[in-house]
Amino acid sequence: MKFYSLTLVFFLSIGGILLPRDFDHQDIPIHENGRIKPLDTFVRNQLLLIYGKRSIKPKALPDDVNSNGLSAIDWFFDIALNPDDGDKYRVFNINNPEVVASLGLNWDPSHLYNRAEVLSGLKNHFDYISNIHGLPEEELSQFDSQLLKVYRNVSQYQALSYSLSCLLPSIQIHDKTIAQSLSVNPGDKLSYYQIMRKANQLSPLMERLLNQDKEEWSESDFELQHIMGILNEINQDKFARILKIIPPESGNQDEEWQSPWELMESRMIGLNQEKLLITLESFLRSRIDKNTDKSNSFLAKYENLLSNPFNGLFNVTNIKLETWTNKANLFYKSIALYILAFLLLVISWMSKPILLRRISFACLLGGLAFHSYGILLRIIIMSRPPVSTLYESIIFVSLIGVICASLLEYSRKDGMGIFMGTIVGAALHFVGLGYANDGDTLGMLVAVLNSNFWLATHVTTITIGYGTSLFAGVLGHVYLLQAIRTPFDKKYLKTVNSNVFGATLFALFFTLFGTILGGIWADQSWGRFWGWDPKENGALLIVMWQIMMLHLRITGLVKPMGFALGMILNNILVILAWFGVNLLGVGLHSYGFATGIAINISLFIAFELITGFGTYYWAKNRHKQFTAV
Amino acid sequence: MNLQLMHAKGIINFLKQPKIFVFAMAWMMMLVLLGTLAQKDLGLYAAQNKYFSAWVTWFWFFPMPGGRLTLIVILINLSFFFFNKSIWRIKKLGIVILHMGGILLLVGGGLTAMFSSEGNMVIEEGAQSNHVEDYHFMELAIINTSASNFDEFTIFDQALLKRNQILKHANLNFEIEILNYLDNCEPAKRTSPAGIQHKGMLKNFILNELRPEKEDNWNRPGLIYKISNSGSSADGMYGIFLGQPVSQTLSINGKDYTLILRRKRTYLPFSIELLDFKKTLHPGTDIPKSYSSDINLIENGVVRKILIQMNEPLRHKGYTFFQSSFIEGPDSETTVLAVVKNYGRLFPYISSIIMCIGLLFHLSQKLPDLFRKSREKIAA
Repeated sequence: MKFYSLTLVFFLSIGGILLPRDFDHQDIPIHENGRIKPLDTFVRNQLLLIYGKRSIKPKALPDDVNSNGLSAIDWFFDIALNPDDGDKYRVFNINNPEVVASLGLNWDPSHLYNRAEVLSGLKNHFDYISNIHGLPEEELSQFDSQLLKVYRNVSQYQALSYSLSCLLPSIQIHDKTIAQSLSVNPGDKLSYYQIMRKANQLSPLMERLLNQDKEEWSESDFELQHIMGILNEINQDKFARILKIIPPESGNQDEEWQSPWELMESRMIGLNQEKLLITLESFLRSRIDKNTDKSNSFLAKYENLLSNPFNGLFNVTNIKLETWTNKANLFYKSIALYILAFLLLVISWMSKPILLRRISFACLLGGLAFHSYGILLRIIIMSRPPVSTLYESIIFVSLIGVICASLLEYSRKDGMGIFMGTIVGAALHFVGLGYANDGDTLGMLVAVLNSNFWLATHVTTITIGYGTSLFAGVLGHVYLLQAIRTPFDKKYLKTVNSNVFGATLFALFFTLFGTILGGIWADQSWGRFWGWDPKENGALLIVMWQIMMLHLRITGLVKPMGFALGMILNNILVILAWFGVNLLGVGLHSYGFATGIAINISLFIAFELITGFGTYYWAKNRHKQFTAV
Repeated sequence: MNLQLMHAKGIINFLKQPKIFVFAMAWMMMLVLLGTLAQKDLGLYAAQNKYFSAWVTWFWFFPMPGGRLTLIVILINLSFFFFNKSIWRIKKLGIVILHMGGILLLVGGGLTAMFSSEGNMVIEEGAQSNHVEDYHFMELAIINTSASNFDEFTIFDQALLKRNQILKHANLNFEIEILNYLDNCEPAKRTSPAGIQHKGMLKNFILNELRPEKEDNWNRPGLIYKISNSGSSADGMYGIFLGQPVSQTLSINGKDYTLILRRKRTYLPFSIELLDFKKTLHPGTDIPKSYSSDINLIENGVVRKILIQMNEPLRHKGYTFFQSSFIEGPDSETTVLAVVKNYGRLFPYISSIIMCIGLLFHLSQKLPDLFRKSREKIAA
C-alpha cells in the first residue's frame, strides 16, 4: 500500500511540472552573479542571507498576523510595495550578545529584531563601521565582522525595500491644470517614472513657476512645487539598485542587466526596456489594488514582452522549472524517506522481518527517485553535467552510494543494502544541506571549468569513484561488524567478503579512469598530463591504495578482515582527496574552499581510525575464540 | 637443465614477486603523500624535484629511493608479471590486458619525464615572437654587436653556470670565470665603496642572495663572474641578473659585446603574432568566463589566423600552445601562452583505452560471481 501511495506522490510531483503553468510573479527573471534566475530564487537567497532561512517563520511575523509563515516572495512584494512599512518583520537574526548589547537592543531569546531597531542601534556606530569597512577579513575581530554583517544585512534590506519605489503610484495629483497637462484625471496617483516620462508636458508649467515671484503663485504652482519635492524625495531611493530585472536592450548576453533605478539614473531606456517597465508598473499597481485578474493579464503581457526580443537570453521554461524546484524541496523529501526506511529496517529486526524489510526497501527506492529527480532538474536548469561544485559533488556521491546500496539489496535481500544506503544517503544529504545554507547553490563556473565535455566525463567519473569507494568502505565496516556478531557463520561472512572485494574492483574502475581522464583533460587544457597537483595526488593515492589492497588480498598477504580494514582506511583517503586538499591552499583545484572544514575532517578521520582498528581487533579476537573452541 | 638457466629462473622468480609490487606501491604512496604536503612549504617545483622526479630522496642523511626509481622498480616488476604461466588463460585475459595498459602508462610517463619540454611564449598585442622561454632554466647570452649587418650570439647553458666554471669559446677573445650563481637575488645599492676589481653594475650595486621562492618562476637568478685574459681594461668582476634593465656592454680589443642573463630560449621554425587578447567575465560578476588570444601563425611567409582559448589550444609541428595567463598593461594586453613539446603524450590515451578494456572484461567476468554467491546463500 505504502509503496503505491509513494509512487503516486512521486508521479504527481513529476506531473506538477509537466502541466503547463502560467507565468507567475515569482518567475520574473533577474540577473544575479552571472546567472539569469527566477525572482523567487533571488529573494530566497536574500532572505537566507539576512534571516538565515528561506521562508519566514511565524515568530518573525508581526504579532497581529496569525499565520504559519510567509514565503520569501510574498515578503519581498510586501516590503517592496510598502517600503516605509517594512519595520513589521523581525527578520534580522543577530545571535552575538555583544553586538546586541552594543546596538542597545534587548536580548531576545529568538535573536530576531526588526529594521527600525537595528537602524537606530547602528546610528551610533557609523563612524566605527566606516573605519573597519574594507579591512581584510583576518584583521577583523568576531565582533567587527558580526557588526559589519548586520550593517550589510540592513543595507540589503533597504535596497530590496526601495528597489521598485520609482514604479509605485505614490504621487497624487489634485490640481486640474497639472492633471490636464499630464493628461490624467485629478485625484489620480502617478509614479515617479510616469511623471519623468511626461516631464516635457510639465515644462511650460515649470517655466512659469520659475519666472514668477512666490507671492504671485497660484494653487497649481504650489502643488507643482510640492510634486517636485516628492520627486526629489523619491529620487533619494536611487541607491536601491540590486534588482537587476530589465534585460539589456541589445539582447547581448555578455551585457549586464539593469535595475529599475539604474535605468532611471542612466536616462537611456530602450524601447523594449520601456515597455517592460511600464508593464511592471501596471502590474504593481493592480497588485496594490488587489485586482488579481488585471495583475495576471499584466504578467502575461510581461512574459510576452520578455520572450519576443529577449528570447536569446534565457529559457522561460527553465525559469519556471527552477521556481517549481525551489518549492518542491525534493532533497528534503528524499532525506525523510531515507530516515523512514532506516527506522522501518530497525523495526523489522524486531518483528515482521520480511514485510517491513520490503516496505523499507520501497521507501529507500522512493527516496532515491526524489533524489535523482532533484539532480536531474538541476542538470536541466543549469544545462550542465551533474557535478561542478563541491555541493553538487556531495549530493551526487550520496546518490551513487544509495544506488550501489540498492543494487546490493536487490542481490542480497537481507536488509544489508538498505542499512548502508540509508546511512550513506542521509548522512551525506545532511552534509550537503550545510553547504546549501551558504547561499545560491547554482553558481557560475570559472573559465577553466567551463567545459561541459570534461565536466561530464572526468568530474562525473571521479565523483562516481568517490561514491563507490565510500560504498566499499562502508561495506568494510559491515563485514567487520558481522564478523563480530556471527564469527561462526563462515559461509555468510564469505559472501560479504566477496561483496567487499567486488565493490573495490568496481570502485577502482571509476577512480582509475576518473584520474586518467583528469590527466587527459589537463593535457588538453594545460599541456601536461600529470602535474603532481594536490588534488591529482589525492586521487592517485586512492587509486594506488586500492590497487595495493587488491594485490595484497589476491596474493593472500592480507586476510578478509585486513582487507575490510583496508577499505575502511580508504575512506580516509577519499575524504582527504575530496575535501582535504583544499586545506593545503596550493594547487589548481582549490576553488571549492570551505572554512571550518578541518575540524570535521579530523573528526571523520578519528572516527574511521577508532572504529576501523577497534572492530578489526575485536573481530580477530572473536575469530580466535571460536576457532579455539 | 644447466646452471645458467636455473640462475636466470631464480632471478625471474625473484623479480616477478607481487611482494615487490606491494612494497614499491606502499613506498610510492608515502612519497606522494610527503611530496603533496611538502608543496605547502617548498612549492610545487622543489617538491617535485625532491620527491617525484628524483632517483634518490634524502631524508636528512638517509638516502631512500625517489619517485623515479620506485616507478622503475614497479615497471620491472610488472614486466616480469608476464613470466607467470598461470595468467595465460582466457579467464585471466582481462588481467593481462590491464597489466599491459599499466606498463604502457608507465613507459609513457617515463618518455614524458625525459623528453618533454615546456615553456612560455609572452607576446604583447601587435608584437611577434618566435621563441619559447623555459620555465626553470637560464642561459647566458653574449652578443657580439661589432658587425654592422649581423649580431653574433654565443650562448652558455644553465648547466655551465656553476661556481668555478670557466667559460671559453672561439667566438670570444676573453674568458669568463663564474664566481657565484644565485638562485634568487636582489640588487641593492652599495653602502661601502667598491673595490678596484668591481666593474659594471657592481660599482654601484651588490647582489644580495635571497631564499628561493615557493614558485620557481618568481625567482630572480643572478650571476657574479670574472672576465680575464682579455688583454684590456675590461678584466674584472661583474654582476648580472635576470631582467636587468640596463644590459652589461663591454668593449674588448675593438669588439663590442652585450651580456644578458635570460630564460633559456628555444627557437621555433615559425612565429606567432598576437592580434588581440580577450577576457570576458560573467556579466555583473568578477568570475572569468573565458580567456582567448587571436593570433596569426606565420610560417614561410604564409599567415594563418587562429583563435587560442581555454581548453582549445593550438597544435602545430609537435608544439602545443595553451592559453595560460595574461598581463594587463595600461594601453595593451600581453598574452602568456604555455608551450609544450611532449613525445609521450599519446601514451596515456592509448593505455587508458587498453586498461579500460581489460578492467571491463575482468569486471564482467568477476562481478556476477562476487555478487551471485550471496544470492545462492539466500536460496540455500
